[in-house]
Order: sequence, then structure tokens, then C-alpha cells
Amino acid sequence: MNTLFPIQRFHFPLLLSAALIVALSASGCDSTEPDDHGAGDEELITRIQLTLTSPQAPQVVVEATDPDGDGANLTIGTLVLKAGVTYTGTIGVFDDVNGENVGAEIDEEADEHQFFFLPGGQDASRLSVTVTDSDSNGLPVGLAFTVATTSGGAGQASLRVILSHFDDDPKDGVNQSDETDIDVTFPVTIEP
Amino acid sequence: MIPLKKRGWLLLAILLFSLSTTAHAQTLVGRVTTTDGAPLELVQVVVERLDRGTVTDEGGRWFLDKLPLEPVSLEFRFVGFRTENRLVDVVAGETVVNVVMQEARVDLAETVITAEGQADAMLKRSTRSVSILAPEDLDRSRGQTIGAMLSELPGVSVLSTGPSIAKPVIRGLHSQRLVVVNAGVQQEGQQWGGEHAPEIDPFSAGRVEVIRGAASVEYGVGAIGGVIRIEPEELPYDRGLGADLALNAFSNNRHGAVSASVFSGLGSKWAWRVRTSARKAGDSRTPDYVIGNSGFQELDAAATVGFHSNRAGFRLHVSHFGTTLGLFSGAHIGNFDDLLRAIERGQPAVDYAFTYDISAPKQRISHDAISLNGHIRLSSGDWIDAQLGFQSNRRSEFDAHRRFGDPDTDPAFSLTLQTSSAEVQLRQRPRGGLIGSIGLSATTQGNHNGESGFLIPNFRATTVGAFIHEMFVTDAWTFDAGLRYDHRWLRAWPRENLSSGPFVRHDATYGSLSAIAGVIWRMDPSWSVSSNLGHAWRPPGVNELFNYGVHHGTAQFETGNPDLGVEQSWNLDVTLRHTSDGVTAELSAFRNRMDGYIFLFPDDEPRVTIRGTFPAFHYVQKNATLKGLDGWIEVHLTDRLDVHVTSSIVRGTDRESGEALVEMPADRIRGGVEWSPRFLSGSERPTSLHLDIIAVKQQDRIPEGVDYAPPPPGYSLVNAGISGSWTRGSTPLSWSLDVNNVFDTAYRDYMSRFRYFIDDPGRNVSLRMQLSFGAGS
Repeated sequence: MNTLFPIQRFHFPLLLSAALIVALSASGCDSTEPDDHGAGDEELITRIQLTLTSPQAPQVVVEATDPDGDGANLTIGTLVLKAGVTYTGTIGVFDDVNGENVGAEIDEEADEHQFFFLPGGQDASRLSVTVTDSDSNGLPVGLAFTVATTSGGAGQASLRVILSHFDDDPKDGVNQSDETDIDVTFPVTIEP
Repeated sequence: MIPLKKRGWLLLAILLFSLSTTAHAQTLVGRVTTTDGAPLELVQVVVERLDRGTVTDEGGRWFLDKLPLEPVSLEFRFVGFRTENRLVDVVAGETVVNVVMQEARVDLAETVITAEGQADAMLKRSTRSVSILAPEDLDRSRGQTIGAMLSELPGVSVLSTGPSIAKPVIRGLHSQRLVVVNAGVQQEGQQWGGEHAPEIDPFSAGRVEVIRGAASVEYGVGAIGGVIRIEPEELPYDRGLGADLALNAFSNNRHGAVSASVFSGLGSKWAWRVRTSARKAGDSRTPDYVIGNSGFQELDAAATVGFHSNRAGFRLHVSHFGTTLGLFSGAHIGNFDDLLRAIERGQPAVDYAFTYDISAPKQRISHDAISLNGHIRLSSGDWIDAQLGFQSNRRSEFDAHRRFGDPDTDPAFSLTLQTSSAEVQLRQRPRGGLIGSIGLSATTQGNHNGESGFLIPNFRATTVGAFIHEMFVTDAWTFDAGLRYDHRWLRAWPRENLSSGPFVRHDATYGSLSAIAGVIWRMDPSWSVSSNLGHAWRPPGVNELFNYGVHHGTAQFETGNPDLGVEQSWNLDVTLRHTSDGVTAELSAFRNRMDGYIFLFPDDEPRVTIRGTFPAFHYVQKNATLKGLDGWIEVHLTDRLDVHVTSSIVRGTDRESGEALVEMPADRIRGGVEWSPRFLSGSERPTSLHLDIIAVKQQDRIPEGVDYAPPPPGYSLVNAGISGSWTRGSTPLSWSLDVNNVFDTAYRDYMSRFRYFIDDPGRNVSLRMQLSFGAGS
């Protein structure tokens, strides 16, 4: 019955190759351990902070936090502003997972970023925001700005803060890009 | 051949370009094909009375010259096929005699003399709907992606992500619902992504088989929609040293591709082949603008060595595939408002200039595979066929901007998937019309996340299966039945989210039966009808179980569902085939009942994050039905004129809500003529002109409120081209010049994932050349 497995004439290369494959499989594949080095390395923004100061009114600090970056625990504070006051504002942007000050990086790449401040809500007309800083091309950035409220009684409005990233699209100082890094709407209460 | 060594390549190249076109007086030329249109190689063509003859080449072509001016009787013989006779009146000039050979259906035992023959006999006699692309069919569309190459087949379309990524779709199903088999081993890449195309060099394919419908019995879990089998080129046993060279150029994206192979037989038992291919493409353009950052480049290499004898054989195949491809930058958006703004604009915000440079967003993929197939004939005449495979797939995706590093060099995420597989089967020789195979298979794979972001978890999946597939073949009937069981163990380390920190281990097992039952009835020599009921399943993919986050490009927030169970398919298929002298046609109707069909379903509430608002989707399982028709007809009007029509229709419905399923290909029809006019056919081989029209309807069957933009309108495109070949000495050159989208029509296909942002590419002029040197001819 030696004709049953007549392999003597070709078994050497066959076995060699089989051994090669087995060796390769054994060496490379057991990667089932989680690799937690990578877990936090994504680009994240977890917190933004608006700080508004004015000689006429107390300082206002308000935050929006999204600790996971995925909206699961998003909290947004309310801006409580005095009527008839002009505030000088700054915005801080942070990645608390990786301990990064993103605002500082935005400042470094100011010509690729712009903040847009869009008043909304029923008393939107009582809010006006003016960007006061500019990048190397003389275009607005928005890390520094002023917020002015018209005088009068109590009011309800909102302030939407958008950070556009300009990568391909040229920044023109007017239009948003299609790459939005931040888009948060803060409720605004105007106190008389 | 020996002279090759002495003369060198340069001389051969010079020789090639000094071709003359001497017409041969009194020449007979022709082509021999099977009933499904595949060329038949090594068919004997004999003129009995003159004691002369020849054999067909790998394209099924033959010619005989310097014949006497009188009627001759030609005989075409090939083992396993019915002998054909033709009486031809030889006249001055050239006469074309094309012959379609019918398989001698009962003589199973005669055709099955090798292990490959056994596998082939089982495929060809199967009750399934199968299309086979032979080397010559492939040559016409080579040089593009594998997906684009297959899209001319009935029932096959592509899901594209820009010009560089084309993923095959069979009867509305793709990704984890198709199995791609390359060189005998299931291709294992990150198939879950809609923008992850099969990592296969189109030049290395020697033959492609497409099985439509459930085929899990032989191909295991996942073969719900069908199977694409890609076989490397045949090894040149019994031939000397040879080489071939293919050069392709495409105008639209200034894309150049070159592929060369060197091969040789070493006696009749050993043979080898090495191939390397390279391509580089810049940005594609639509009729109106450049698609920024849509270039790609690829470098592939493969080597095969084989041995065969009457009793045993093996083939060792090693391949490397490497590509870097750009993704249209305008499709990389921040949030849902950005998406709406881009859709409203209707074209890119930036007027891009053409470049070959590729910047982020981009993908870099490499796929290395080694496979060993061996078979031994037992003294009983049956074969044992065994396969071992190992493959390593590395995918890195680079985001447009990244704070912690350089976007062009530090990937946003990288994944390594390593898969080892083994299969052994007993291939039975025919016994009174009964033929079949029994097998066992095992696969284990591990996924490892690289240093950066987290998209799918690390996991290990091990699958084992056992199957039996038997066929009973008589002259008029084939009965086909098979059964398989697979079991999969999955262990994954998904991540809850950043704040909750720990990796949660998830263990799951899945197991199910697959089955096939079918019948073919050959009513008479020209008509047959077959019907097939197939059952297939697949376990949920890791992305479907554990995804969590924003999918850029579609700006949707996707949530996996760890409770998903298996997806089951019951596929009924009826095919009518006709073959007569002038007409070949096939029409299939199918109904695929999917239980536990897994898809993304919109949440009630959008997801609000610090980056803005995203529509939210989660994976659900519902019961769905896919049904449709596909078919083709080819009419040989005269020896010089052929007409063909191919059409596909798919309908997908959620059986619970009655709504249409999203992302189903629109109805399409393709028709064309191929004409080999006498005035162009002065040389040995016919030169032919072709004209094709492709018409695609608007997809009007869509679910309500799921999509962000209405499906694009229907469109029609015209393609035209000319192809031919010359031979001088032993160096044949075949060439083709094609223009796709002749009228530079602006259009968007519903199955283009970038249809929200940009048109599909415009006019594309392509030139293809293939040269064979030495024993290759």
C-alpha cells in the first residue's frame, strides 16, 4: 500500500513550506492584550472656558465640558450678563484627558483657525460680539473678543461658539470651514 | 527560451516596435470559447485531409495560414468537450471561424483527472449562479482596481469612496457579507469598513470566479451575498523561460501602471513565476473640477512556485500588496452642520490644482500573504487537498489634522490583523455520476490596535468548521446538496469610553449550520434551468458590536450593540440559461431572506457633543428581504458583429416596517456592440471596435428620513474603444485604447460614498498594452 501516500518525491518542499507558515503564524499573531498606550491619544477637546471681565460688572466665567469627547456627559454652563455692559472676553480650550492646553496651540496656528460667535435666542439683538485679535494675515482669530449687552430689562438669549479649522479651504475671515472643531451654544441670561 | 538570454530584453523591445503588418493570403483565424464565453486553451484544430493542425493559445485563438483555395473540413477537439466540425470555404484573405464548444456533460470521469479538474467540475456543474472571468476578459479591464474589474458582471456593482477605493457589491451585499478568496485562502483585511477595498493586485489575477448568492457550505461564515475567487496565473509547466509586460495609462488622473512577470517551467513537474506591479495616479477630475487629494500609489510583488505530477502537487504563493491612497479632503468634515453646508454647496469649496502628492486624510495599507496548497491522489483515485495560509494586514489611517504629531506621518489609528488558516478536504473522484468533497477548516485571527486612536477593539476570533458537499450529475440533471457547521469563539477587549476607563472583556461564541440544495435540468442541448436554495450565516462583526464614536465623512455618531446575534440568510435562486450557435443568455431571479440583518438605524435624538451636533445611529437587527433579477445576453449576429446586454435589479426591504433598505444599488443596464470590421483585420488577429452604453436609474427606493441628501439622478454613460493584437515572431503584443465616459458627463452614483460632495470622475482615456516574450507566447 505504499501507493496510498506517494509523497516521497515532493514532501521536502511541502514540509519546508508548511514549517515556514507555522513559524510565521506562531510568531506574529497573539495580540489579544489591550494596548492602552493608544487609548487616549485621539485629538480631543474636553473643555472650553469663557472668561468675561468688565470694570462695570463682576467677572463671569462659564464652562462647557465634555469629559469623554463623545457627548455622553456634556454639560454647558449659563452666561449671566449685566445689561448695558461691555465685557472683554477670552476663551480657553483644553484637553483634560491628555492634559493639553489646546488654546495655546490654536494661538500658534492662528492663521488656520477662527472662532465665530453667533448670538441667538429671543433677545439675540441685545448681544453683540466683536473679535479683537488677528492672525499674521490680519484676519480675525477670536481668542480675544468683546461682548456688549444693550441696556434694558431682563432677557434670554444664547451665544453659539464655533471654532473652524482651515486646512484646505483658505481662511477669509468671514466664512466658516467644513471642519468644525468646536460648536457649543451657551444659554445667556441678561440681568437688568 | 535560450535565445532570450543571448539577445537580451532591449533587442526584443526593439523587435517589437519594428512590427510590420504583412497580410497572409488564405488564412483561417478564430477563437474557441466555452458556452459561458471563456476562451479554451489547447484545443486541437485539425484539417484532416491536409494533415495539418494547430492548437489554441491561452486566449482560445488559433490560426492556420497558406491554405489551398478550396473547401476544408475543420475538426475541433478537446477532452471533456464535444468535438465540433466545420466545413469552411477557404477564400483569398482571411476567414474567421469562431467555435463555441459544449461540455460533454456525462463524461465527468474523463474531465476529472486532476485535483484542479475535480474542483473545476464541481464549480461548473454546481447549481449556483457563477460567472468566470478568464485571462482574456481580465486583460480588457486590468489596471484598475479589482472592484472595478468585476463591476461589468451581471449582479456585481461597486461601492466607491472616491476614485481610489472600489469595493465589490454582489446583489446588494458587500463587506462582511462577501467572501474574497485569493490564491485559495480567504482574504482577511479590515473588511468592515465601507472604504476598505480588497487588498489584491489586479494584475496578479489569472482567473476570477464570482458566485452569486449564499455559498457558505464551501466558503464558510460570511458567504451570504456571494464569493469572489481570485486565482493566480497558471504556472507554466512544460514551458521554457518567458516573461510578460503590461503597461497601462489612464488620462483622467494621469495614472500609469506597469506590471512584469518572469516565469519558467523546470521540466514538466516544476514551474515558477514572479510578478511585480507598480502604479501611480494623481488627482482625478470630474468634468468641472479636480477632486483634491484623490491620488494613489501601489507597489505589489508576488512569487509562486509549484510542482505537479499525476499523483501529487503543491503550490506556494507569496504576495505583498502595498498602497497609499488619498481621500478627497473636502469629505473630511467636522460636524453635521458642515455636512449640510458641503451638500448645499454641491461642489468643493476649493479649486484644487492637479497633483500627484498625497496628503492627509489618507490610508496606508499593506497586505502580506503566504499560502500553500497541496494535493495528493490516493490509490482509490480520490484526492486529498490541503491549504495553509498566513496573512498580515496592516492599515493606517491618517486624519487631516492631528495635534499630537504630524498628520502626514502619525496615523490617527492603525490596525494589524493577522490570520492563520488551514483547510483539508477529500475530493472524491466521480463514482457513477456522484462527485463531491468533505472537508474541515480552521481559522484564527487577532486584531491589534497600534499606538494611536481606538476604533475597533483588539480581538481574537477562532473559527472551525466541517462540511460535506455532494453532487449527482447525469446527462439531463444535476442534483447538488451540502451541509456545513461552523463555530466561532470571539474574545474582544472593547473600551467603554475614556472616562470610565477600563477595558471590558467580552467573550462570545457563535455557531450555526449552512446548507445548499439545488438542481439543474437540461431540457435540451440549448436550454437549462437551475434552482438553488442556500442557507448561510455570519456572526456580527466587531465594529457592529463595539463601535462608538463619530464616523467622519458621513458625520454620524455610531454606537455598536454587544447583544447582536448572528445574521442568517436563506437564498433562493432560479436561473435560466440558453446556448445556441449564435446566442448565449442567462437570466437569474433571486430572493434572499435575511433574518437578523444587521444595519445602522437612526436614533430618536441626535448626539450633542462639544464639537457640535451629529445624527446618531445604532446597530440593530431586523428581518429583511433582498430580491432581484440579473442576467445577460450575447448575440453573435455575424462572424464580425456581436451584441450584448447585461442588467441587474435589486430590491431590499425591511420586512418589519416595509421600508426600503438603504444603500442598495440602483437598477442598471449595459448594452453594447463589438465589431471586427474586415478593413481593420488585415493582420493575423482581428482588431475590434466596441461601443457600450451604461444606463443607471435614479434610486427611488430609499427609507424615509435616513439619508441627508436625495439620491442623485439617473445617468447614462458611453464607453468606446478599439483593441487588437499583433504578432511578430514569437512576441505577441495585444493592445487596447478605450474612452470611458466619452461625453464627459457629470454624474453621481448612488453607491458612491462621496456623492454628497462631488461628482464621479469624468472622461478617461486609457491605453493598455501587453507583451509576451519567450515561452510566454
